[in-house]
Amino acid sequence: MLETARYEMSRRFRGTVILTIGVSLYVAFIVWYFSLVDASAYAQIAESVPPAMREAFGIQTIGTIEGWLGGQIYTFVWLVGLGIYFAYSAAGKIASDIENDRMDLLLSFPVSRSQLLLEKFASMVLPLVLLNVVVGGVTYGLVLAIGETIDPMHLVLAHVLSIPYLLVCAAIGTVLSVLVNRAAVAERAAIGLMFVLWLVESAIGAAEEFSWIQYISPTHYYSPTPVLIDGTYEVLDAGILLAGFLGLIIVSQVLFQRRDI
Amino acid sequence: MGAIELDGLTKDYGDVLANDDVSFTVETGEIFGYLGPNGAGKTTTIRTLLGLLEPTSGTATVLGADVHDEDALIDAKQRIGYLPANLGFNEEVTGAEVLDYHESVKGGDRRDELLGIFTPPLERPIREYSSGNKRMLGIIQAFMHDPELVIMDEPTSGLDPLKQEEFNEFARNECERGKTLFFSSHVLSEVRRICDRVGILRNGKLVGLEDIETLMDQGGKRVRLRTTDEARTELAALDGVSDVQTFADGIQFIYTGEYNTLLRELGTHDVREIDISEPPLEDVFMHYYGGDGAGESHQEVQSDA
Repeated sequence: MLETARYEMSRRFRGTVILTIGVSLYVAFIVWYFSLVDASAYAQIAESVPPAMREAFGIQTIGTIEGWLGGQIYTFVWLVGLGIYFAYSAAGKIASDIENDRMDLLLSFPVSRSQLLLEKFASMVLPLVLLNVVVGGVTYGLVLAIGETIDPMHLVLAHVLSIPYLLVCAAIGTVLSVLVNRAAVAERAAIGLMFVLWLVESAIGAAEEFSWIQYISPTHYYSPTPVLIDGTYEVLDAGILLAGFLGLIIVSQVLFQRRDI
Repeated sequence: MGAIELDGLTKDYGDVLANDDVSFTVETGEIFGYLGPNGAGKTTTIRTLLGLLEPTSGTATVLGADVHDEDALIDAKQRIGYLPANLGFNEEVTGAEVLDYHESVKGGDRRDELLGIFTPPLERPIREYSSGNKRMLGIIQAFMHDPELVIMDEPTSGLDPLKQEEFNEFARNECERGKTLFFSSHVLSEVRRICDRVGILRNGKLVGLEDIETLMDQGGKRVRLRTTDEARTELAALDGVSDVQTFADGIQFIYTGEYNTLLRELGTHDVREIDISEPPLEDVFMHYYGGDGAGESHQEVQSDA
């Protein structure tokens, strides 16, 4: 049990560390930038931005450190950037194993297809945990370092609630990965789909007659900025994400089980 | 019960009928060669046996496990080794890491012993491997958990002749230890050296299932001699002579008839030089395939006669 998950994690360890360092450096830059600019300037920026963009980037309250981080880090990096990364990364897994003839050997193992798929997926836990723990810690430390304060519980909550969201993104990638034969196609489809889903929610969803459409996007169920500002969140949202995640995993299992390799 | 049993196995890809009602049994403890040119459908059969492909109709069992039954097949796979034709390994990991992974999943009691025979550069990443090194790594992973049955798709492709010979010897030893080996090949001389029996596949259909000795006997002998013009004409007309090629002062043909008849006939002519040998297996193979080469030589026989 879990040999494949361990092997996959050891393979992606280096890349994950590099990504974590990269994101941490970006956080450092954003926090440092916040310390330079006078708070009242932000309020003016926020007001001059069209409502759709304000919604998309969560920049309602960028005058406070919570609002600033919510927009620049948790919306821009976590919701959009990492959402796309998890979908992309999962999309390449099965498809590239099939494309590069690795799946032949993997399926000669005395392991069921369903277990193999789950273990491959489970290796996504490594970036999920490492990014959340390290970047969360780095963010907290840096905020204190520039003389600001942020409620650590709100920060933890913003990270914890991102986990169901990122799992859904990875599950979307996994469905594409078992559906498509070529890794490049699955990966590009994952990037495109995640980007479209985010636009659907933030841009089209803001238009009243199409407001229903925002509910199909996973980005609708993770709103980090309010969590950071006053700790408000909907338990139901996290529940919907987890249900969506399980549903997508089941779909990918059925597709993988039935297909010829 | 055979180690592998195929019963009417059919795989239809829609545009290609890759396996058409293929039935045969591989007995426990034998080396079975699965022969056919590229594209005949050998790999399709192998991948169906491993549960990678779902047969369109018919069925097969490996070590008693039905290929339709995933749980039974998983149990059987603990006792099966597999060497695919195209070896896919993650490019950035080292050979040792690949073997560690395989060992952790299916065991590796014989890993060190195998590394004494096959010598891939374990400390290097796979991306630096030559095709021969990849093949050796593939052979090691296929045998290291000491399986009862090893299924190999073109096992020696990419190996240099020396390593090929070592592999052949290794395969024979494994067979003596009671293992069943099933391997596909389009290289006939290789099959001849190590197989007990062969199944011959053509366009998805099984066209021959023979002991290797029967196959060779049916192939007859290749006779090459230098003689007179008159003798050449008479020899070419003899029963059991085929594939006649004439040249300046000699003749070459495949003889499948009675040896005494040939010797008596030769005794009546002035034979200046003679060489009787086994025909290349490619020619034997033609017997089953009825390829262009054989067809033309029959034409030649008729026109000469």
